[in-house]
Amino acid sequence: MFPDHKPRSFLDATALARLASVPFFARQPMLGNVSGRHASPHRGSSVEFAEYRKYVPGDDLRRLDWRAYGRTDRFYVKEFEADTNLRLCVVLDTSGSMNFGSGGVTKIEYGRRLAASLGYLALEQGDAVGLACVAKGIVRNIPPRRNPAHLSTIFDVLEETRPSGETQLAEVLHEIAETVAQRALVVIISDLFVEPNILESSLQHLRFRRHDVAAFHLLDPAEVTFNFRRPMRFVDLEGGPAIFAEPNEIADRYFKALDEYLTRLREVMLASAVDYHRVSIDESFEQVLMRFLIGRTKASGVR
Amino acid sequence: MSFLHPLLLLGLPLIALPIIIHLINQRRYQTIQWGAMMFLLAANRMSRGYSRLRQWLIMAMRMLAIAGLIFAVSRPLASGWLGLTAGGRPDTTIVLLDRSPSMQQSGAGVTQSKLDAARRQLAQTLSMLDPGRLVLIENTTRAPIELESPDGLTQSASTESVSASSDLPAMLGAAHDYIQANQSGRTEIWICSDLRENDWNSDSGRWQTLRETFSEFPQGVRFYLLAYPQTPESNLTLRVTDVRRQATDEGADLLVSLRLAREGGAQTTQTVPIQFEIDGARSQLSVELSGAEFTLKEHRIPIDKTRQRGWGRVSIPADANLADNQYYFVFDQPAPRKTIVIADEPQSAQPLRLAAAVSTDPKTPATADAVDVEQLASVEWDQVALVLWQAPLPEGDAAQTIQTFVDRGGRVVFFPPRNPTPAELYGVHWESWVNSPEEVPVDNWRGDQDLLAQTQSGAALAVGKLEIRSYCKLAGELTSLATLRGGAPLLARAPSNQGGVYFCATTPAASDSSLANNGVVLYVLIQRAITEGASVLGTTRQLVAGEAAKDDTTTWHGLAAPDGALSTEYAFQQGAYEEGERLLAVNRSAAEDQAPVLVDQRVADLFRGLDFSRVDDTAGGASSLVQEIWRIFLIAMIAALILEAVLCLSRPVRATGGTA
Repeated sequence: MFPDHKPRSFLDATALARLASVPFFARQPMLGNVSGRHASPHRGSSVEFAEYRKYVPGDDLRRLDWRAYGRTDRFYVKEFEADTNLRLCVVLDTSGSMNFGSGGVTKIEYGRRLAASLGYLALEQGDAVGLACVAKGIVRNIPPRRNPAHLSTIFDVLEETRPSGETQLAEVLHEIAETVAQRALVVIISDLFVEPNILESSLQHLRFRRHDVAAFHLLDPAEVTFNFRRPMRFVDLEGGPAIFAEPNEIADRYFKALDEYLTRLREVMLASAVDYHRVSIDESFEQVLMRFLIGRTKASGVR
Repeated sequence: MSFLHPLLLLGLPLIALPIIIHLINQRRYQTIQWGAMMFLLAANRMSRGYSRLRQWLIMAMRMLAIAGLIFAVSRPLASGWLGLTAGGRPDTTIVLLDRSPSMQQSGAGVTQSKLDAARRQLAQTLSMLDPGRLVLIENTTRAPIELESPDGLTQSASTESVSASSDLPAMLGAAHDYIQANQSGRTEIWICSDLRENDWNSDSGRWQTLRETFSEFPQGVRFYLLAYPQTPESNLTLRVTDVRRQATDEGADLLVSLRLAREGGAQTTQTVPIQFEIDGARSQLSVELSGAEFTLKEHRIPIDKTRQRGWGRVSIPADANLADNQYYFVFDQPAPRKTIVIADEPQSAQPLRLAAAVSTDPKTPATADAVDVEQLASVEWDQVALVLWQAPLPEGDAAQTIQTFVDRGGRVVFFPPRNPTPAELYGVHWESWVNSPEEVPVDNWRGDQDLLAQTQSGAALAVGKLEIRSYCKLAGELTSLATLRGGAPLLARAPSNQGGVYFCATTPAASDSSLANNGVVLYVLIQRAITEGASVLGTTRQLVAGEAAKDDTTTWHGLAAPDGALSTEYAFQQGAYEEGERLLAVNRSAAEDQAPVLVDQRVADLFRGLDFSRVDDTAGGASSLVQEIWRIFLIAMIAALILEAVLCLSRPVRATGGTA
């Protein structure tokens, strides 16, 4: 796990051990190179019977079902489901706003934990893991690989990445939808401070590319409760103009804006069939991940 | 609105405290690195409507609460008529209290009189205002009385009602003298009055002087007029015009003449029981009053034959004003009617002596003695009622003697000498005789008063039938009682303190006039003069309250004095008194009945140029002149605080973004 024995701040071995007991499934057939745990759109050589098919010349005679021929005097080929691995593409938002955290943990730190744990879990069950750190564009991009050593590279990148710059999530997701090969699991870890309507098209793009999309929406408790007493000067972490506000005065309108945004975002996520998880960063990431994994277990087997 | 502690109002800038705290709070802002800017931007774009209003309301409520507190501790007083008393408390407060009989009038439907209301209101107001040194000047003695506390206004006997009229200019003069003598600082003068013209003498020239002298005080004098100008809806006044004792065959009668007057609009017929009390014995007479006035002439009341002198009281039932419902009188045997005739010419002396020597009442002897000018010193002046003088005007000792006689109340009628001298008496001297070829008629004469007034039955004297053949012209300032054609006076009155000096421009001699032939006018004239002159000789006197103030009343003994009247104030209280041998009756002045109320503009004119404010109060009014209203401000403060709390609490329900 730690090839060079370097402790990573975002890894919790005991939590990972507990999480490893739950398999990490995709919700839809994946296209992998090797055998794995996930359903494939193709027929293969698993133990799970799929169907009988009429023999056509050119089919491998070894796969002819002689018993069926004995009963029906016709040639049938017996087909089985194929099991394959998946390509997990973690998209981590590293824009400036991810540097916010009121309770000691910043969003980026929380995102690192989620990304690292997911990467570890996926690689553990033989899936390929890639990482894209995005802000205004794609800052770092590591294509998915199955190699266990690859995990170390990912951890390094996670450790080195620093939040800065604006969020241009929609454009970046369009790009990722095109560059990542079809039928991958795309996990977006971000505060999603983008207009939901703009985000909708990029999510639809991902869906069109047959990607299984999951999103961890990171919110700080301070952003939800907004319980400031004194007048505040809010400095934009992404370099925009600062805003001076009297919290008492602005709170009701802030909540209204927040409420509208969250409602609309949920609608967009539902419409785009995104596995959407709203996460308050004071929650334990282990529980968040457990909820995520169990949700996928129930939905497994969908083809 | 004024304040008892106006200095505390200096704290009013504290109202700005919430704003200052708000600004300081804004200065103490925190800076925070913030990610979710999109919501803040969206919030800023949204309409601020109610939220902003609520903030302002909360701020306003806080300011209101502080203002309410400051106003409450400043102890505000209601009723703005006190004006800006914010200058601090006065050094001296002088109360001028009009306690004349008209102030005894009670308000509609209540028994409290104007005077009681004024005393109560003043005591209440002054005890609230901290009057400094409190000085009372009332209308009788006009001597400044220092009161220890405003309660003295309701408790002191010096503030009770009296029968004497007030003289506001004199009272203001006394206040002026007090301020000058005591070098008092800022002074407030409170005048309590019902604005009756006879009390205020608004035409008096003294007002001009008062205005000038008061405005000269550098410390500033402020006038407050607490006025009770309401006139009663209906009020009866009773006045005895004449009382005579007349012996009859059976015994004696008292002839009482009185006048009953009605004030107010009611003109319905009214039965008024009039009660007579003579030395304690009562009798009653009911009269029908249909007009504004009723006159009773010589109502006979039988009295004991042996009773030569005594006192009496006439009263009517209580009405709107208690002070004018009774009238006191004293009676005695008529004084001897003695006349001195000093005449150059026998033809004049004879008719004069005859006219003076025949008494109107056979029971009262009348004498007329002819004396020479040189014998004047030997005359017993104490018993003389009238002097008839047909000779050159007296000079030297003789003039002095006549003047002394007139000053003590005697009457003198001068007739012209045949040869006028330039001698002058009372500013009048004879000029020259005018012999007219034909008789000069009398053009007009005063039939309403004085010597030529109409008879008691209302018939005019036959002055017009007199034939004047020659007359002597008069020079000097005179009030003409009868005027000849051409404007020369026939009978005139010279100005004197007691008003008892008459000049007749002709003599009763047959060559001059028909005064002697047509003897009625001369007889009436002389008899009336004798009656007036004799009225001061008797042992009884009818006094007008307040006008006998110079007399020492400590020797007076009350026969029928009102309850609680101080013996030092007998001269101001209506009643019957005894002083040695003399009987005295004190009553309110005639002007006190039906005196008009000054119009508002006139009152304002009297105080023009002075610091003056006025309030009209009513007798029996329940409301106080000034009221402390700090409670209202305290309640306003509490209300503001509650509202502020409600506004702070009523934040919109928070949109809780639940985590998925």
